[in-house]
Amino acid sequence: MQLAVNIAVLAAIYALISCGYVLIYRATRVLSLAHGELMMLGAYGLYATASLFSGHPVAAVAAAGVLALAVGVLVYFALMWRMTGESVLAAVLATIALGILLRGLMALAFGTQTRHPLAELGWTNASIAVGEDAFVSGVGLVLVLATAAVYGLLFAFLRFTRWGIRMRAAGQNPLLAAQRGIGLHGIYALAWGLATFTGGLAGMLIASDAGLESTMVVIGLKAFPAALVGGLDSLAGALLGSIVIAAAEVLMVHHVDPLLSDVVPFFILLAMLIVRPWGFFGSREELDRV
Amino acid sequence: MTVPRASGYFRTRYAEDFALLDTRTRKAWAALFAAALLVYPFLAGPLALDLANQVLLGAVGAVALMLLTGYAGQISLGHAGLLAAGAFTTGILFKEFGAPFWVTLPASALVGAALGLIFGLPSLRLRGLYLAVSTLALHFIVIHLGAEYETKRGFSTGILVDPPSIGGWQLYDARAWYFVLLAAAAATVLFSLNLLRSKTGRAWRAIHGREAVAGALGISVHRAKLSAFVVSSMLTAVAGCLFAYFRGFVSVEAFSLFLTIQYVAMVIIGGMGSILGAVLGTVFVILFPYFIEWLMEAAGLAEELAAVVFAVNYSAFGLVMILFLVFEPQGLVGVWRRIQAWFLMWPFKQKPLAGTK
Amino acid sequence: MSDVLLRLERLEVVYHRVITAVQGVSLEVPRSGIVALLGTNGAGKTTTLRAISGFIGLDDARVTEGAIVYGGSRIENRAPHRITAHGIALVPERSKVFENLSVAENLEAVVPRPGADRRRLAESIYELFPALARLRAREAGYLSGGERQMLAIGSALACAPDLLLVDELSQGLAPVIVEELVGRLRRVRAELGTTILLVEQNAHVALDVADYGYVMENGRVVLDGTPERLRAHADIQEFYLGAGGGERRRSYREVKQYRRSRRWYG
Repeated sequence: MQLAVNIAVLAAIYALISCGYVLIYRATRVLSLAHGELMMLGAYGLYATASLFSGHPVAAVAAAGVLALAVGVLVYFALMWRMTGESVLAAVLATIALGILLRGLMALAFGTQTRHPLAELGWTNASIAVGEDAFVSGVGLVLVLATAAVYGLLFAFLRFTRWGIRMRAAGQNPLLAAQRGIGLHGIYALAWGLATFTGGLAGMLIASDAGLESTMVVIGLKAFPAALVGGLDSLAGALLGSIVIAAAEVLMVHHVDPLLSDVVPFFILLAMLIVRPWGFFGSREELDRV
Repeated sequence: MTVPRASGYFRTRYAEDFALLDTRTRKAWAALFAAALLVYPFLAGPLALDLANQVLLGAVGAVALMLLTGYAGQISLGHAGLLAAGAFTTGILFKEFGAPFWVTLPASALVGAALGLIFGLPSLRLRGLYLAVSTLALHFIVIHLGAEYETKRGFSTGILVDPPSIGGWQLYDARAWYFVLLAAAAATVLFSLNLLRSKTGRAWRAIHGREAVAGALGISVHRAKLSAFVVSSMLTAVAGCLFAYFRGFVSVEAFSLFLTIQYVAMVIIGGMGSILGAVLGTVFVILFPYFIEWLMEAAGLAEELAAVVFAVNYSAFGLVMILFLVFEPQGLVGVWRRIQAWFLMWPFKQKPLAGTK
Repeated sequence: MSDVLLRLERLEVVYHRVITAVQGVSLEVPRSGIVALLGTNGAGKTTTLRAISGFIGLDDARVTEGAIVYGGSRIENRAPHRITAHGIALVPERSKVFENLSVAENLEAVVPRPGADRRRLAESIYELFPALARLRAREAGYLSGGERQMLAIGSALACAPDLLLVDELSQGLAPVIVEELVGRLRRVRAELGTTILLVEQNAHVALDVADYGYVMENGRVVLDGTPERLRAHADIQEFYLGAGGGERRRSYREVKQYRRSRRWYG
């Protein structure tokens, strides 16, 4: 039972992070390897707003969310729009470079010691019993709920709203989209903003649960196999991929060897790439267009 | 292969198209450069010598990556994994069997070649982004195996490797290392240049351009891809072996993803599709942190920032990489060619046509 | 030809700063007219169309000389979505629909000109193309060639354009379907008052629907006139309608002579 709870929480973490990879890839055809850093930036954002708005935790959380959204849009307009039309490699490398830059700047601005934004907010992380002998931390529960909400909203957004449909259209055929009057830069910036927002949300929640330090980047990196296993252009795929990877990781760590934690996602990714490179729900043509 | 000079020099035989050094002036410059490299260790101080050694060692790996990415167009993010494979092969053979370097070096090369085959297999089905991702996955797996070995055998801090020895003589002195590494780097560069003007090299460039067309021209795309991965990985693993001896120490911490990024940066900053670029990029990336340190000292901030040197380095490095990607995608070689063109055309202004290289 | 909606004045388009694809093309499209641009492969028709719709920037091409005057203002070298906002919509040659989106979503994704009545537009599109209304929920990737062309025209119309640019209406479609589409284009003009500039290789189709035609060759306009005049022209009969003598093939000299005469016209 405890294992199932652990899987659910980890799957929620991965899913919340990997939907950022999917959003950016789907709209702009770029794989952002700076996602882990952006996620961490979101968490530091919460830490900063928490001390700024001390006594108003809700305001702090809201401000941190807005901040993350703005950072994503800023990243697009400051850097990524210059990479449109460049090769896949150049764009991916630009995100890697951005990641390094952010990592350096965050260490400069916030130092390297572990931070606890939850304590800054004045909230505690209670342990909640699930069933007879399983426990989940309060933040863990919030994580699962937040992930469910984010996915529900994203599905609705992409399926039913005009901007969502336009985002899908732009990702599929940017030339035609531009011709149909869709401003691509706006769409791309929105995708970056949303991805950074969801990533930042994940970062804030993880930091609230486990503290905020530089190893968080590794979690971001481990989530991207989840996106790929599911299919880089499919949100449902990211969800399923996250569950598969989280389950495999938790079970392997529990039954075989704790050292495997960092490598299991990549083993699964490799197996998937060999058997079915486009992932569970990804479209097959994706392979040829990159 | 090379850019013709501006003066009235014309090639009259096909063989001249393939010559590495065509004119007398170029030969003279090459000889002068070689001589300078040979006397360098006798003039340089200890720090300059150490830097030169690092550059030479890095150049082997950078040239190997350039062959794969810059010429054959296969994106790899597993370079640190391959270096680690070479270094760990050396370390393990040394620790377990006390193997001398003339066993570990070929063994590393062999392991590298085998891994290259494994790294290359996904490339038969995957392209671009997906290939990069699969090599990244392989990186983590290789590193995991290394870490596993370290913990299981109780070398959790790393494996100590004695310097290589021939008879009673040990390779320890920095100056001696300089010549060994110079020989290795020169051999790598010459080997690569030679390979590139052969059928294999042409096949690589063809698949870089467009796989389907290359296939239609009778090039075996699979073979070209795999050979690119095997050759590149072999060279990289050899660099890893040298790395193990040079540092005298092997540990997974040294082969983080950041190392891969550094190598990729060497290729990017140097300029894609140029061996000269790989070497220039190596010089740039290796010297960069020292330059930053010097800059901090010059600004009088050295003490204040002492605790966060790595953070400053990271930021500056990321920034430089972004600047190159955005403003000089052809890298240092692009700058170099523009300077050359400027001098050739002087006093006339030359404006290169867009779309030509 | 009093009220001119679009006018090209000695337009010149250069690719990669070296290759001139369109050299000094001038043409006029009257408001609510249907104008056809004829020519063989590589004549520069599509490039001209892309220059108007703002697409050439993506191929590293630029309008270097001349002007594109639309409704009194110059629009050369602007971003595609801004040109759409001005009321020019393109039905492209290939990849003309969003294949993973349903028919309804294809129409929904469009950003119409400011002030356009979205609902009424959608109604009139479904009325023009009842097939689209029927296939509303179908993914566009599963449509037939003719249905795709209808959807492409429909979603271009959803931009509420004054000027519709159609690139190769007949390409790859059966004659029956082409005939139907031509009828729809006439209705579009009659009911919505949309001006249409049609690029075609198939001279039969083009001269059938247009009220004025331009013939392009080697990046220049070499001939223009009403369909009657063009149909009557010996060279058009020979080279585009395939109605020439047919017994003997033209010698190289005669073709060269023909090209020279074209230059005179231009």
